[in-house]
Amino acid sequence: MNPFPRRGLLAGLAVSPLAAVAACQVQGGADAAEADFPTRAVDFMVPFDPGGSGDLVSRAVAEAAEEPLGQSLAVSNKPGANGAVGLKELLAGDADGYTIALAVKSLFAITPLAVDDPDAVVIDDFRIIATLTQEAYVLVVHADSPYQTLDDLLAAGSVDYATTGVGTGSQLSAQLLFTGAGIDATDVPFDGGAPAVTALLGQQVDAVSASLAETMPQIEAGELRAVAVFSEERSPFLNEVPTAVESGYDVVVDQRRFIVVPAEVGDEAAGVLSLAFEEARESPEYGQFLQDNYMDRWEVDSLEAKTHLSDAAAEYAALVEDAGLDLGEGS
Amino acid sequence: MDLSSVLSGFAVAFEPQNLLFCLIGVTVGMLIGVLPGLGPAATIAILLPITYSLEPTAAVIMLAGIFYGAQYGGTITSVLLRMPGEASSVVTALDGHALARKGEAGPALGVAAVASFIGGTASILLLTFIAPALAGAALAFGPAEYTVLALIGIFLVGTLGSGSLWKSAAAAALGLLIATVGLDPILGTPRFTFGTDQLADGIDFTIVAMGLFGVGEILYNLEHRDRPQPAVPAFGRAIPGRLHWLRSRAAILRGSVTGFVLGILPGGGATMSSLVSYAVEKRVAKDPSRFGKGAVEGVAGPESANNAAATSSFIPLLTLGIPANATMAVLFGALMLQGITPGPGLMTEHPDVFWGVVNSMYVGNLLLLALSIPLIGVFVRMLKVRPGVLAPLTVVITMLGVYSIRNNAFDMLLVIALGLLGYGMRKLGFEPGPFVLAFVLGSLLEASFRRSMRIFGGDVTEFVQRPVSGSLVAVLVLTAVIVPVLRKVRTRQSGAAEQPAAQ
Repeated sequence: MNPFPRRGLLAGLAVSPLAAVAACQVQGGADAAEADFPTRAVDFMVPFDPGGSGDLVSRAVAEAAEEPLGQSLAVSNKPGANGAVGLKELLAGDADGYTIALAVKSLFAITPLAVDDPDAVVIDDFRIIATLTQEAYVLVVHADSPYQTLDDLLAAGSVDYATTGVGTGSQLSAQLLFTGAGIDATDVPFDGGAPAVTALLGQQVDAVSASLAETMPQIEAGELRAVAVFSEERSPFLNEVPTAVESGYDVVVDQRRFIVVPAEVGDEAAGVLSLAFEEARESPEYGQFLQDNYMDRWEVDSLEAKTHLSDAAAEYAALVEDAGLDLGEGS
Repeated sequence: MDLSSVLSGFAVAFEPQNLLFCLIGVTVGMLIGVLPGLGPAATIAILLPITYSLEPTAAVIMLAGIFYGAQYGGTITSVLLRMPGEASSVVTALDGHALARKGEAGPALGVAAVASFIGGTASILLLTFIAPALAGAALAFGPAEYTVLALIGIFLVGTLGSGSLWKSAAAAALGLLIATVGLDPILGTPRFTFGTDQLADGIDFTIVAMGLFGVGEILYNLEHRDRPQPAVPAFGRAIPGRLHWLRSRAAILRGSVTGFVLGILPGGGATMSSLVSYAVEKRVAKDPSRFGKGAVEGVAGPESANNAAATSSFIPLLTLGIPANATMAVLFGALMLQGITPGPGLMTEHPDVFWGVVNSMYVGNLLLLALSIPLIGVFVRMLKVRPGVLAPLTVVITMLGVYSIRNNAFDMLLVIALGLLGYGMRKLGFEPGPFVLAFVLGSLLEASFRRSMRIFGGDVTEFVQRPVSGSLVAVLVLTAVIVPVLRKVRTRQSGAAEQPAAQ
């Protein structure tokens, strides 16, 4: 791994053109060398904290991809700013295919709505190697609460709801729903899924929108009740819970995870990596992992994935604008 | 509680394979605890891939061993080098290092090891019998309760240190300021990030502690290279004497209970417990002025408290599926990778895992005690190493440790910058302890207060209307206002002839 990543804004600006030039040189003259890619271990950078959903799915798929790739995949965590810190480092490094990274939809589609970063990474900086999962957000209430359905909750005079943080799908989905329903709702941002769910378990708040992985154990234990899912279709894990769309609110928000390399990586290396991960997705262990962690498969080609991500970014921006929301300034 | 599942948990814990992984876990934990800057969360993350091929119980026994083993190891660097690796061992560094300077490093470490063992073991016993009943207590703590708890903590920070109260307050205020670096917790607005997203998530505790305590202390000592080194005692003196035990006995018992109770609270529980224990010991001591200058109770109490808290912080993870701190979050991930979901169902669905892990902690604590007592003599000899050799070595290990938190070289620069700040503070007589603890409690206070105000719709009086936060407010008023005022009145009454002892 590059021992001296971007040190700050100035250093970053100075480094990136150089990196791009270096990358072009590699690409131009190294076709022959790439023919037997990979000849050494590949670094798999996870730009999130160890132990979270993004980390777990990366480790599961990396383990399954080592055999088809014929080299080991070393997973390392480089968290910060919803993945921006790690992905910026990926772009600053060599575009030789020996460093790959996990990326998430929310960084490209939701974070820009909340955080104003003039040099934010955009999806066109990357080449998508493989798409992995989609995870629905679900709106849950406490099992002891009087709210049995979404309509009950929306009929309440005022609602305090926890979110898993500013600029997350949790915040976006709940805000769009409550604003659309025109009720008096206050968001209470927490630092991640676990504290938000804890606050609901202690009935400090009335509701929380969080991912299935964060809420399913408590739903299955009968501590929490799901009243709506924010996916297009019902979740296979919660078949009896209606979608927000079914209930008349056009809110579809989910998290999707995929693997990227810098856009300059050559076709051959990218092709080898893609094939390895396609094979890894078929492994029974990976399938079992998804099942255990309440994740749905999202397996499309890179063109379709890019279209989905840019469409989602435009759609969320339009929804937020129509609703008069400003994620960054609270509500 | 089903007694047979507890007993079969012992059978699981005593399986040879599990004993072996327990030993590996606590040894690795103790080692990384000794290396400044390397934390259990990063170590567990690095070791995650190894656990794939292990049986779930063995994997978690090993990872848990790393966690509480690191608590034992962290004490050694706190005492010998004044480098606390965890927020919960910051207070140990105060009197522990003062003892080491007096040539009593051996007794300090001996008392700390025994206090840790008793704290840890008492906590497992309590966990076994009342964990299910207590699980709900963690949920009674919402943003309002955390607000008042953090406020109590910040007032207790004022009792630390032996210097001027105003300098402690100034250092604490600076700590609170540094805690605001990063994205605003409610609005997401970047604060003091200077346009770089390296600072977007704020500054990690380890970086602040390693900078202010570690690098700052090393720089300060470089200035005094000519000063004679404190005498290193022979191994015989490394064993705590009768007086040490007499003074520590009650402190250990009080610390164990404090640690167990506060450790259940996810987020800040362990730090609060060591702070509360220190404050209590200082208050009940006959001569509080010894504190900060090498009072052995100031090591015994907080050490038993933070080990008890380390154990009881498993309660929310294992019974509710709530990770209490960064290390627990990685352990949560390890269990998920094994196809086991920590949560309300764990105790009934996987009793072998639950009780196997819990009971392995008895073994782990015993192993740690057995490991640490003979090693004290070895570690104390570390003080004999010339500062010209020890200092650069410590800095290199610190840098490696800091890098390992986020695999980020920017953090290494940050440690150096904070080290210079720590050096300046030291020169001017400001203590790093209040700074670091206020830094930890500051983010808890700010985020919890603002969350409470959103929930309360801006009505501050709700803090006293809720039963738990109301009681905590009463404790706060009692300790921060009434007791000091009463004491002042009494000193004034005790006559003008008798000069009151400066505190």
